[in-house]
This record gives sequence, C-alpha cells and structure tokens, in this order.
Amino acid sequence: MKPIPPKRALQFLRWFCREDYLDEIEGDLLEIFRKDYEASPKLAIRKFTWNVLKHFRLEYIKSFKSHHHTNTADMFHHNLLIAYRNFLRYKSSFLINLIGLSSGLACALLIYLWVNDEWHVDKFHTNRDRLYQVKENVEQDGGMITRITTSGPTAEALATEMPEVEYAVTNTFDHIFHDVLSIEGNDIKAGGLYASADFFKLFSFELIQGNKNQVLSDKKSIVITEGLAKQLFGTTENIVGKTVEWQHKKQYQVSGVLQDLPALSSVKFDFILTFEAFKEDNNWVLNWFNTAPQTFVLLKEGTDIERFNKKIADLVRTKTEGNANHRTPFIARYADAYLYGKYENGKQAGGRIEYVRLFSIIALFIVMIACINFMNLSTARASRRMKEVGMKKAVGARKSSLVVQYLSESTLICLLSLLIAILLVVLVLPQFNTIVGKNLTLHFNLKFTVGLLGLVLLTGLIAGSYPAFYLSKFKPVTVLKGKLNNFAGEVWARKGLVIFQFTLSIILIVSVWVVYKQIQFIQTEKLGYSKNNIIIIRSEGKIDEKKETFISEIQKISGVMAASNGGHDMTGHNGGTYGIEWPGKDPENRTEFENMAANYGLIEMLGISIKEGRSFSKNFADSSSIIFNEAGIKLMGLSDPIGKEVKLWGRNMQIVGVVNDFKFESFHEQIKPAFFWLQPNAPNIMIKIEAGKEQEVIAQLQKFCREFNPGFPLDYRFLDADYQSLYAAENRVSILSKYFAGLAILISCLGLFGLAAFNAERRNKEIGIRKVLGSTDFAIVRLLSADYTKMVLTAIFISLPISYILAKSWLGSFAFRIELEWWFFVGAGLIALLIAWFTVGILTIKASRVNPSECLRGE
Amino acid sequence: MKQHTLGEFEELVLLMVATLHDEAYGVAILEGLEEKLEKKVSISAIHVALKRIEDKGFVKSRFGGITEDRGGRRKKFYAVTGLGKRMLDAQFELRSSLYKLIPKISFG
Repeated sequence: MKPIPPKRALQFLRWFCREDYLDEIEGDLLEIFRKDYEASPKLAIRKFTWNVLKHFRLEYIKSFKSHHHTNTADMFHHNLLIAYRNFLRYKSSFLINLIGLSSGLACALLIYLWVNDEWHVDKFHTNRDRLYQVKENVEQDGGMITRITTSGPTAEALATEMPEVEYAVTNTFDHIFHDVLSIEGNDIKAGGLYASADFFKLFSFELIQGNKNQVLSDKKSIVITEGLAKQLFGTTENIVGKTVEWQHKKQYQVSGVLQDLPALSSVKFDFILTFEAFKEDNNWVLNWFNTAPQTFVLLKEGTDIERFNKKIADLVRTKTEGNANHRTPFIARYADAYLYGKYENGKQAGGRIEYVRLFSIIALFIVMIACINFMNLSTARASRRMKEVGMKKAVGARKSSLVVQYLSESTLICLLSLLIAILLVVLVLPQFNTIVGKNLTLHFNLKFTVGLLGLVLLTGLIAGSYPAFYLSKFKPVTVLKGKLNNFAGEVWARKGLVIFQFTLSIILIVSVWVVYKQIQFIQTEKLGYSKNNIIIIRSEGKIDEKKETFISEIQKISGVMAASNGGHDMTGHNGGTYGIEWPGKDPENRTEFENMAANYGLIEMLGISIKEGRSFSKNFADSSSIIFNEAGIKLMGLSDPIGKEVKLWGRNMQIVGVVNDFKFESFHEQIKPAFFWLQPNAPNIMIKIEAGKEQEVIAQLQKFCREFNPGFPLDYRFLDADYQSLYAAENRVSILSKYFAGLAILISCLGLFGLAAFNAERRNKEIGIRKVLGSTDFAIVRLLSADYTKMVLTAIFISLPISYILAKSWLGSFAFRIELEWWFFVGAGLIALLIAWFTVGILTIKASRVNPSECLRGE
Repeated sequence: MKQHTLGEFEELVLLMVATLHDEAYGVAILEGLEEKLEKKVSISAIHVALKRIEDKGFVKSRFGGITEDRGGRRKKFYAVTGLGKRMLDAQFELRSSLYKLIPKISFG
C-alpha cells in the first residue's frame, strides 16, 4: 500500500499554489514524504503539513485575477480607457454631467440623511412594537379633535382592568417645565417631567446608576441625567441617595442617574420626578374629568389592537357615569407618534411623514433631472460616437457588449460624481444641520456604504440605459457610411425629457413661491394682538408669593412699558374647559373654550382690541366678570351679549366685554372660542419692553430678580420666538425648498445649455448659409431658440395644473391662508422661460454672430 | 541593467545546481546540501532560493517526465546559465583574491 499524504494539507496546497509551481512543489514534497514515511509515518505526515505551510508564501500564491475571464477584464479595462478619453475630449458635456450629477447626488444624500434621521426618531425603545400611547378623540362643535392628554387615573384603570396590558404609566411628556434644582447654593434650571413607577419598563432610557424597577417607586425620588448630575454635583459618581432641593420647596433623593438622552428621542428632559409627587400637589389629576397627563401602555405580545381599541372606547364614559360622553380613548403606537402625529376628525391624517415623503420625492426628482441631462447629452452627441460604434460592430462587437460599455461609462461618471457629492455634503452639512435643527453626520458604516454604491449603480443604470440601448442599436453599414438617421422618435424622446425636466423645475418654483408667500402671510398678517417685545417669566419662589409687588416693582425699570400676568402663554392651545353654561346650551355640547385667566392690564398690554363693552378695570368689582372673544359669543349664539350672565364652573359671571378675535393658535387652526376672567394670581408674568431696549431691560430684570427672588435664575422667553416655533416645520420647508428648486433649475439649465451648444455647433453651416443669404442675427437667434421656447412652454402648460393641485392641498392644512393668485403660476412659468432663454440666448447669440466665411470654409 | 546579487544560501543552491549538472531538482538539491552541510535543510527554503536565482537569470529550468514516485507530478530540473556561471566565477575569484591577501601569520 502506498503511503497517503494528509488530504487537507494537499488540498490547501493545491488551492493556494500557482499552477506553474505546483508540479515542482507538490512533486518534491511527495517524494520527501514517501522517503520519510518508511522511517516514521507519523513524523512524515507532520513534516508534510509543516512543509506545505512553509510554502504558503506570497511568491507561490495564485493571483486573484481570474484567468478564465481575461476577455471580460480586458474589455472592462478598454471601456474605462475609452470613457476616460471621451471625458477628456468632450470636456463641456463631461463637466455638465459631473456638476449636474454631483449636485443632484449631494442633494439626495442630504435628504437621505435627514429622512433617515426622521425615520429613527423614537424608534430606539426596545419595546417599540408593543409600546402604545393612549389618545382621546374628543367631540367638539366644529368636529372631532384628537388629544394626547388623558385623565390621571387612566393608566391604573388600564393596568388593572385590561389583561392585555402588561404595564401602564402616566407621564407628562408634552409638558416639560423648567424648575430650579439646587444643592448647597448651586441653583440650576432644568427641564423635568413626572412619570409613574413603571416608566423605565416601557421606555428604553438607559440608567447608568440605579435599578430601573425601583428608581421611581418612592415619591421622594428624583432621577437625573448625566449632564445635569455633572452640573449639580460635578460628577456622576456616588450621588445616589444625595438630596436635591426642588424649587426651594421640597427635598428629593437622587435614586438614579440616566445616560444623556439619545438624540433620536423626541422628548428631552433633564430629570424625572414621580407621578405620585405630582398627585400630591395636584389633586385635580385624580379624577376622570380633567385631562392633562399622557398615558402609555405596554401591551402583551400578539394583542389585537382593533379589538383592544373597541374594548377601551367606553372607558371614560363608564368611569364618569356618562358625564363625559364626548371622549373616546384609543391607542396608537408610540414609535409612530413622531411621524404620524396629525389627526383629523379622529382619523390619522399624516403629520411629519408628509414632509418626509415630500423631500424624498424632491430628492428623487433632482437625481432624475440630472440623469436626464446625461441621457440627452449622450444621445445628442451620439453622432460623434457612431463611427466608434460602427467600428466595434464591424470587428464583431455584440450589442450586449456595447450596452455594457455605455453603462459602465455612465456608472463611472456617477462614481466620480458621488465622490464630489460626498465632498459637497461634508462641506454643507453644518449649514444644513442649522436649517433642519438636527445633528446629522456622515457615517460610513457597511449599510450606508452599500447603499451609496447601490445608489451609484442605480443612477448609472438609469442615466446610461437609454443612451446604451440607443447607441448600440446603430447599424454598422449605415453609420460607417456617415449617415445618421435622426429618427423622429429619438428627437421626441429628447424633447420629452427636456419638457419633463422643466415641468419638475416649474412645479418646484411654484411651490417655493407659494410656501414663501404663505410664510410671509403668517409673519405679517395681523394676529389681533401684539406679540413683539413681550417676554414671559414663570412666577415662582418669591415672585409667586408677592406677585403684585413684583409687577409694580418691575414696571419702574426704565424700558418696561407694561407688565401684567395671565394664565395663558398666548401661543397655541394651553388648556380649555367646557364648564361654561349659557342660556339655551345643549347639555351634550362639550365644546371647549380656551381658558385665559388674566390680571388687570393684560388685555391692553397684548393690544387685544375691545369690540363691545370694556376690559377688566380696577374701577369696577370685576371678580365675577367675564370677557369673551367673538368666536365664543358666536358659539353661544348670544345677541347683544353685554350684561348677560353665563355660568363658569357653576358660578354666575357677567359678560362685561367682547374682544375682537385674535389668533392665539397657529394658522393651521380656526380661531377657537376663548374667554378671559380675572385672576390676579395667574402664573405667567408678561412684560412689554420698549423696542430696542430688550438687552438692557433684561439685564436690569436679572439684577432685580437676583435680589427679589434669590435662588431662582431668571428664565424668560420671547413671545414672538414662541410664536415662530409654531411654524418651525414650515420655515424649514420654505428655506429648503428654495435651495432645492434653485438646484433643480440649475441642473435643468445645464442640460439645456449642453443641448443648445450641441445644436448650435451642428447647425453651424446652416447658420453660415443663412447669413450669406442675408438673414439678420436676430432672425437666427429666434430660429435657434424657437425649439427650446416651445419645449419650455409645453412644460409650463403641463406643470401649472399639477402645481396648482399641490399648492392647493398644502395650503389646505392652514385655516388662514393666502389665495392662489394666477400670477404665481404665470410668474413661475415666466421665470423658467426667462432662465431658459438666458441660457440658450448666450449660445445662440454667439452662434449667430459667426462669420459665414469661417464656418463655410471647411470641406 | 541592475547587477543582481547573490545571497549566501542562494550561492550554495546555485553551486549545488552546478554540481548536480542536469540532474538538479528540488529533492536532489536538498539531499546534496544536507549531506555536505551535515544539517537539516528546509525544502521550502530551497524552493524559494531556486525561484529567486531563476528570476535573476542564474539558472534556467525544464520539466522532466512524470514519475510514479511523485504522485504524477513532473520534476523541475534546473541548469546553470552562462550568467550564473559568470556569477559563480566572480564570487570565487573575489573570495580567493581576498583569501590570498590574508597575511601569513599564525592564527591563535
């Protein structure tokens, strides 16, 4: 029997070793093996394996170049070479393609980063699939509204009565208040919320210290974030159990330290107090009639949401024994709440997802516009390459190899563009981040890189597909003879693509215009009250105790024009009540009136105008006076309201005045009924400052507050900044769409420029002959631009109805909106036409001024 | 052209190839060297040295016939080229000329 060398070692040798050395190495090794085997088989086997391993050296390893496909590799190399030479030879179209594609891709990348971030907001909770938020559909006079506020006992009722619920918690996510936390004279203002004990079982906010099952179980507990811990204690070590003073009123023990919140969390807070502590100070939250906190539930696996919703629909009705029939609770996934936050008439109606979709579509369009440039320029310049195609076909190139050639050319240019695009993104990312208010970064992980390469391939395929199939179709005989059949179809396709580009551009221009006008309208439209130069201070500590003194003292500061206090922050919905009764009220009517507690002088300071009657005045006993806005009077259907009596929470109140309607909510909302009642103790201090003296007055105020209210750093907000934040999304869209529309039109024009340049060059001789025959320059310009004018006009014609519908639907979300004027559309069309003319004009004028003797001399 | 140099082990292998004349292949070289040097030599070291001196042009190779002993693999025979011979001569000359310069004193 012949000795058998170790199989694995031999296999390995054959796998790695170069074919041309295998004979020598394997042969020698085997020979030695056989000789050794006679002495000692075991040793021989070991030695053989060792020898194989010692041959595993760079010199003997097979090259990775596949020897079976050398032809393909060579063709690939050849294609790249031809592509490179073409780029060098036709620099202008190469540059146009490069600029267009790279800015298009950069734009798409930026939008991708933003969209990706939006998608991941609040998705980091490990329980995201089972974590639901309880919302309520509330019937109102004007239709159903949906609220995220619920009654305090909801969570407990759900947890005990519904077997599907694993845990239920109450918290105050939408009401992050800024309170003073202090430790040994170190006063820090921080944002906080209240949450019930099982909070950390639902939400994946990571604790770095403390047990997540216990940190909120004692009502004397406070959980703080790392950042706050550093501010307060200067460290995050050994602080559990230490005492923190809250609002200089109560003491809490630190029971846990939270990792700083993920950027992808839609709620931001610095500390958590227990909901038990909240109940202690706010017993109104114990009943089912008041709504304010939010309720979240963790459902058991496999719960049928629709069935569950049916089960809880009557929860509030049962608990209130039929006294709050207008409220129907339901649950919706918390992870979706960020993107799908808008409800209309109790039905889900989009939300931020609309902007996510909008921008995704814009990104797609811009990349498409850039691709079209590539298609148009390559097909238009096909005549220059038809000889190449003819030659290749004549020597036996198949159609498929030509297709591959053009596709690899387009992919190559896409790859180059991508590199430039990445550079562009890196450059503009900081600015982009300020616009979108995020902290986006380029992060090259595997998924992203693969995605990028996929994008390049896809773009390359789209851009290259039409030229590839078009060019490879040429018949070698005809093209080598020098004939190029300009099929009618091909010209049409080119025109169609240009029209498509301009249609998209015009739609974008109209959108920018409409968004801009609406934003401008929001900024300048009279709100019915004045929000400028007013700051809001929360009354706390000594200010709360001696409000009257404080207000009269700050009025003495020079630059303060007026000061008063109220219960409403004048921006958005604060809180409402249906506890108003008037003669003839339908007892089932649960329409809420916005509750605006006010002190003397507040209505005057805000510049709200009195329509009838009077404002609150110290000259009258106004403790049971009430003032409505017009919407309120209209809802109650009172004619000649002054002097009439209504009941507020069961108390008789006399209507002393009616104010003109003012827009305290965003322009998306109709003006809701509202009322003022006198409450000198209302919590928001508002101060009107003389224009231009803001800094000075605030400095004075800070100084004054340090003495008057020690321990509470002054925390102020500008009313108009608050107001702006209502339109954060719209402002963003306005700015971004401006850039995107600019980019779209730029890329389209680049393409048009390329086409026009090509045509002018091709018709060089024609122009010469026309000039010889006496044509004027102007006639030639007209002749050359007529085609493009027609294309742009067609684009205008197509785009106007589309943009009208889009604009209309966007404006539809505003209760107060601009009218769509005809000149928005005509204007946008004209802009596009002028830009197109300008682009083509430069070239045609240059072409028309050619000296005929020069262009006719050749041949 | 760059003058190639010859390492110590490469020189030994080249000398062995020259000695074995027409019968020089991996295993024969290995055995010859082991015998002369009276120590174990690694076959991979010989293969590498052969490859290098072949790349430098000091030896040329041809394949022999298939033998049963080698599992059907051919032997690769090496022969010294003219360049290789000149290299060996030059090395020898250098050494002996240097050797001759050694003063004739006794080495303790």
